[in-house]
Amino acid sequence: MARIVLENLVKIFGAGVTAVAGVSLDIQDGEFMIFVGPSGCGKTTTLNMICGLEQPTSGNVIIGDRVVTDLEPGERHLGMVFQNLALFPHMSVFENIAFGLRVRRVPPADLNERVHRVAETFQITHLLGKKPAQCSGGEAQRVALARTTISNPDVLLLDEPLSSLDAKLRVEMRTELKRLHEQLRSTFVYVTHDQAEAMTMADRIAVMQAGRIQQIGTPLEIYRRPANLFVASFFGMPTMNLISGRLSDTNPPRFQADHVDLELPVEAVPAAAVGRDVCVGVRSEHIVLGAQGAAGRVQLTEPLGDETLIHFDYGGPSQLVAKVRGDHGPTDFEVGEAIAFDFDPKGVLVFDAEDGTHLE
Amino acid sequence: MKLVLAEMEATPKRPAGLAAWLAQERIFRLVPFVMVEGMFLLLLALPFALTIYISLLRWRANRPFEQAYFQGFVNYARVIAEPEFWWSLGRTFYFAAAAVTLELVLGFFLAMLVHQAFRGRRLYITIFLIPMMVVPVVVGYNFSMIYVDSGPLNQILAPILTPFGVTARIRWLSHPLAAQWAIILADVWQWTSLTFLIFLSGFAALPPELINAARVMGASRWQIFRRIQLPLLKPAIVIAVVIRTMEALKLFDQAVLLTFGGPGDSTQTIAFFLWRQVWQFNKYGFGAAASVLLLLLLSSLIYGGIYLLVRERALLQQPEGRG
Repeated sequence: MARIVLENLVKIFGAGVTAVAGVSLDIQDGEFMIFVGPSGCGKTTTLNMICGLEQPTSGNVIIGDRVVTDLEPGERHLGMVFQNLALFPHMSVFENIAFGLRVRRVPPADLNERVHRVAETFQITHLLGKKPAQCSGGEAQRVALARTTISNPDVLLLDEPLSSLDAKLRVEMRTELKRLHEQLRSTFVYVTHDQAEAMTMADRIAVMQAGRIQQIGTPLEIYRRPANLFVASFFGMPTMNLISGRLSDTNPPRFQADHVDLELPVEAVPAAAVGRDVCVGVRSEHIVLGAQGAAGRVQLTEPLGDETLIHFDYGGPSQLVAKVRGDHGPTDFEVGEAIAFDFDPKGVLVFDAEDGTHLE
Repeated sequence: MKLVLAEMEATPKRPAGLAAWLAQERIFRLVPFVMVEGMFLLLLALPFALTIYISLLRWRANRPFEQAYFQGFVNYARVIAEPEFWWSLGRTFYFAAAAVTLELVLGFFLAMLVHQAFRGRRLYITIFLIPMMVVPVVVGYNFSMIYVDSGPLNQILAPILTPFGVTARIRWLSHPLAAQWAIILADVWQWTSLTFLIFLSGFAALPPELINAARVMGASRWQIFRRIQLPLLKPAIVIAVVIRTMEALKLFDQAVLLTFGGPGDSTQTIAFFLWRQVWQFNKYGFGAAASVLLLLLLSSLIYGGIYLLVRERALLQQPEGRG
């Protein structure tokens, strides 16, 4: 069990490429922390610095009560699951799982017993004699987890471990990982670019972009109160609707943009935003289609079963998407049909037009 | 029932069948291979058949071909009964074993040093690859000068050997044992480049995640080398062994250029033995029989090597259901 503290971590690679530009973070003991962000945002480099595979250019990594910045990966007492699992192809599953214990010269009887115990936990006893090449994707995943957890590490680092699985298996393994975290109660640090993984598994999420943390928070905080436009547009399926315009300083205030002029209740508009150029963000579930509001025309419908996505044109630079629940509103929209839309005041987020920060 | 089938088989194909087959334009798929197959027949199959035919003849080149006559497997029996054939073969295996072992060890060691990133890496790679590109005749000529009794090699060895009371005037080319090692060393100098290249690509192909995974699990450098890198390099090692053994068993140039098989026949390799039988003693039938026997022997060795290679490859496949 261990708390991890990252103190202003910076990593600059040889040719002056800054991968991580000052990351400070406090990960609590037993927490499931997920780093999420687009490719090249520095999340894997940060994980590698925690692990010791990369040496930070400056800053410190503290695990438990030890500063481990200069320690070898093997001395940090942590486990890591790699993106492609990194199972040793020439060894049997048994030898793969036992590797960490063998290099520490654990007595054979003890080693044998521990391998069988962990294999039972992950239900892979029948695979012990096989080679990794003979295992299916899901089995190989369990072998990798068994290999990592057998030495009871304080911290478990996972670098996009599900990215190479097919969609169905990925959802199953998500549940298994969550259950594993409940069982072990070790500190989990998980890297992914998949927001669905982050939302479903994390205790807290750190959203990264261009080597910096943009926001740290629980999944719902990140979803409901994104710190800036990047976080707002990165999270959520479909992507948040964003419209640039101006908030009038009338009472009640009005949001005015190309082809949009909507009245907003006072409580939905932060005082700092009144009379300024802003970007208004509304998630698809907070766009209300009805008889009143601005005019639009349906371009495309995407039925998802219990709900339907309506893509519509309102005359602005991009289309908007509304989510209509199948059991409430009308879902049989025709392409080309004229509609009227309004914003649910609860779901209106206002961002600064210049630096993109969330105005509250 | 049988009768009906026979009748059906006997029915000649209608011309429509041929026309239909031509209409499918399958012929165009075969056209590109005509050149390859033609070359194969011309360059491999024909000479091979001719060699087998000659090996069954009693024919000496100083007599006209019309006087040659078929004598069955007599040449084969003579080759098998010829002690010089076996001595040359044994000597060739000894040369190959010594040379290939040294080339593997040196090539592996150099590749291990060079595969890590450091300044000047490319320069070292280029330098280590040069010997392979030198024409063997030039290598032979250069080494014949290096090995001269008062030549540079003995001069370099003098300060090292003299303190131990050994005279550093090794007769590299005229002492039977030294001459054998002179040939082995020349071969090692030239062909370590190839094993180096094979191992360097082997090291480059090792997935870094596997080494990182072992590091995280606390393995030392030696443990990583011994338990991860070395086993994963097995296919590269097998390739190097197969290729170099095949070549070393054909050792000819150095034996001719440095010692011409001597002193005595202490450096006569099997390739040189064959050449001598045919070109010096004009025993064409005998030479052909010996080369066919040699081919059978080497083919079985190579087949064994390829079997090992395929087996190693199969063991290292990636898990299914991913990617």
